[in-house]
Amino acid sequence: MSEKTIAKTKQKSEQSVNALWQKFSTVGILVLLLVILAVSRPQLFFSSSTLTQILAQSSVNILIAMGEFFAILIAGIDLSVGSIVALVGMSCAKMMVAGVNPVLSIAAGVLIGAFLGFINGSLVNVTKLHPFIITLGTQAILRGVTLIISNSSAVFGFPGSFTRAISKNIFGIIPTVSIIAIAVALILAFITQKTKLGRNIYALGGNKESAWYSGINVNLHTLIVFIISGVCSGVAGIVLLGRVGSAEPTAATGFETYAIAASIIGGTSFFGGKGKILGVVLGGFIIGVINFGMNLLSLPSTLQQVVMGALIIGSVALDTFVARKR
Amino acid sequence: MNTLVKMDNVVKQFPGVKALSGISFEIKSGEVHVLLGENGAGKSTLMKILSGVHKPTSGTISINGKVFNGLTPKDSRENAISVIYQELSVINELSIAENLYVGNIPTKKLGPFNLVDREKMNKMAQKLCERVGLKRDVRTLVEDISISEKQQVEIAKALAYESRVIIMDEPTASLTNEEVNHLFEIIKKLKKEGRGIVFISHKLREIMEIGDRVTVLKDGTYVGTKNISDVTQDDLVSMMVGRQIKQSYQSKKENFENEEVIFQVKNLERKDGKVKNVSFSLHKGEILGFSGLVGSGRSEMMNSIFGAEPKKSGEIFVFGKKVKISGPYSAIKNGLAMVTENRRESGFFSNFDIKQNISILPFIKKSFGGGVGGLINFNSEKSWAEKEKEKLNIKCFSTEQNITELSGGNQQKVILGKWLAANSKIIIFDEPTKGIDVGSKSEIYSLMRSLADEGKGVLVVSSELPELLSVCDTIAVFREGEIVKTFSRKEATEEKIIKASTTEKSE
Repeated sequence: MSEKTIAKTKQKSEQSVNALWQKFSTVGILVLLLVILAVSRPQLFFSSSTLTQILAQSSVNILIAMGEFFAILIAGIDLSVGSIVALVGMSCAKMMVAGVNPVLSIAAGVLIGAFLGFINGSLVNVTKLHPFIITLGTQAILRGVTLIISNSSAVFGFPGSFTRAISKNIFGIIPTVSIIAIAVALILAFITQKTKLGRNIYALGGNKESAWYSGINVNLHTLIVFIISGVCSGVAGIVLLGRVGSAEPTAATGFETYAIAASIIGGTSFFGGKGKILGVVLGGFIIGVINFGMNLLSLPSTLQQVVMGALIIGSVALDTFVARKR
Repeated sequence: MNTLVKMDNVVKQFPGVKALSGISFEIKSGEVHVLLGENGAGKSTLMKILSGVHKPTSGTISINGKVFNGLTPKDSRENAISVIYQELSVINELSIAENLYVGNIPTKKLGPFNLVDREKMNKMAQKLCERVGLKRDVRTLVEDISISEKQQVEIAKALAYESRVIIMDEPTASLTNEEVNHLFEIIKKLKKEGRGIVFISHKLREIMEIGDRVTVLKDGTYVGTKNISDVTQDDLVSMMVGRQIKQSYQSKKENFENEEVIFQVKNLERKDGKVKNVSFSLHKGEILGFSGLVGSGRSEMMNSIFGAEPKKSGEIFVFGKKVKISGPYSAIKNGLAMVTENRRESGFFSNFDIKQNISILPFIKKSFGGGVGGLINFNSEKSWAEKEKEKLNIKCFSTEQNITELSGGNQQKVILGKWLAANSKIIIFDEPTKGIDVGSKSEIYSLMRSLADEGKGVLVVSSELPELLSVCDTIAVFREGEIVKTFSRKEATEEKIIKASTTEKSE
């Protein structure tokens, strides 16, 4: 081999190591976490209910994170996701308690989520402010609305058929909520990978100016992105309601942190234009495992917050560090 | 003239690439030494070795007789070498004076404290500014001054460091003709003071004007050093690319009046007054160029035609049919295309590979629901990309390479490819060869000509007169938002165009 081909092969192998890291770093972290858990608490870890519990707990976060992913993909952010979860959950609960058919209530809940996303997107388009500012505002506003309509107290006593349907496990091990999350993930993965809409959203995230000059309707796509985020949070709100069995006005407080973390851990670029739904699902799962693991190791909940924060910084820093070494 | 810096047989090996193989380069006091070569020829690497960013693999650098095997940035600064990069490194949030003395601020003692001595700093800065002809209050924030003034700040900063050697990397890339002249005055003054200037540029005409000697690099090897007075522009081009390059790309036809009008603009006007009542027609086979100073309304007009920026009134006809353009999407639907001035900012998608950058346009054009609806057809995507790669001679390993891995010229071809893949009929080029090397420039000119010959409309906005003169069949000159003069190829000369674009309109 000539000097040049050797150099090229070397470059190639370096590239493939990088590509491998990019593809599998998230999976790697997940496997590592599971191994740590399995080794430290083998009896508990290998019981069949463990996986079910992790799946059920992760699903709500994964649903929210998938919506957040779209907001981050266009180099924006959605800080209002937690408040949308609470408001949709509260609205559904109120409707069902008032005697509205659960199926109708669920449909209305999803629509409310879409509408709240529509408001976020419209505000971003009209004011031209960064989504951070807009959704920081709507986060507070929507939380306030939830507190007002609920009179600051929890709502419960809705049909058992609803809670039973949501907290059921299919084949005894796969929770319904996970089936819902998987279905939403499949739809969103299809949108991002196979449709022009998805391609345009990546383009918009990669370069807003180029997107505009290429004929992409920037406002419309921004609006669609926030509607997707609203719908995902809406679905998460309904799912959470079914699992918890009551609507708390302060539900899902701080969930935007987990959603953002799941997206970033899953490989979504904070600068926009890069990331995949599968990564976000894995990212959400990782956070679920961490949460579950900390409960398993019976860490006090106060300490759990600290550990979670540190892990978020650590995992993203590790990823950036590897990316920079190239 | 004594030698300030001598680089001897410098080799730089990067992992996998030999960037420089045995380059010798010398800078004498009181000379402008031009460093010439296509993109990737090794100019920047050589200068980075001089500024201490890279350490050479072998070879020596002697500065005032002191021999080094490699420099650190500190060595470089202490030995009076300054680099002015193309992307200026001034700090926008600081004043001119603060920029000049950043890291080296004059202080006064107040008890135990060392405080900034603003009075002294401003006074010293004022003197430096006078030396480079910068007529500004030194307390002005740098973000409030023009690019050419920022450049003057950089030069003044080099003087603040008492630099003997000043390296300028494409200093004229974003300057108007007038600003270039001013820069050349400064350079001449620096020469007289006995400083050595390294001048990196692609613009041959400027090189002939300002240079004393020229060293040409090609693919990391040394081609030769000549006195500027001994060479012609053509000599330089053939040294750079190793072949003779065609100088004219005009049509064989000279008169287009009997040809079909394929694109027409009538009474175009903008609300902000940047374009006032502009009308023009483009004939089949003709390349129509637009000259004028930056801000004279050329690019503003194109952006309004394309719908990227709003217009107040005006009619647009494509192949005789009146079209309504409300935004880029409707412009695209009507067959318009726009290769924008800044590839990175408004041209390509750095998160996409080559094929995705090309397919975005045809996908949007062929979708339903205003560019949103429909599925990605991966087979079409692949075939569009392969076709344009072939047709435009895009140099890449595969169309799945990220576009940022390509040279500027090839990136520009990919952008052109996306418009051709969407079957655009009227193509607007805004500064099509900005930052592109000579070899690729000539390829792009040939492409423009063959597009016009195929019957597509080609409109060109350019600040480089030689470019317009060698490509366009007709040149319209803009001044203060209006077309003040239109020249056919036979009438057009640089002098006439400059005169039309600068003098008062009452003639």
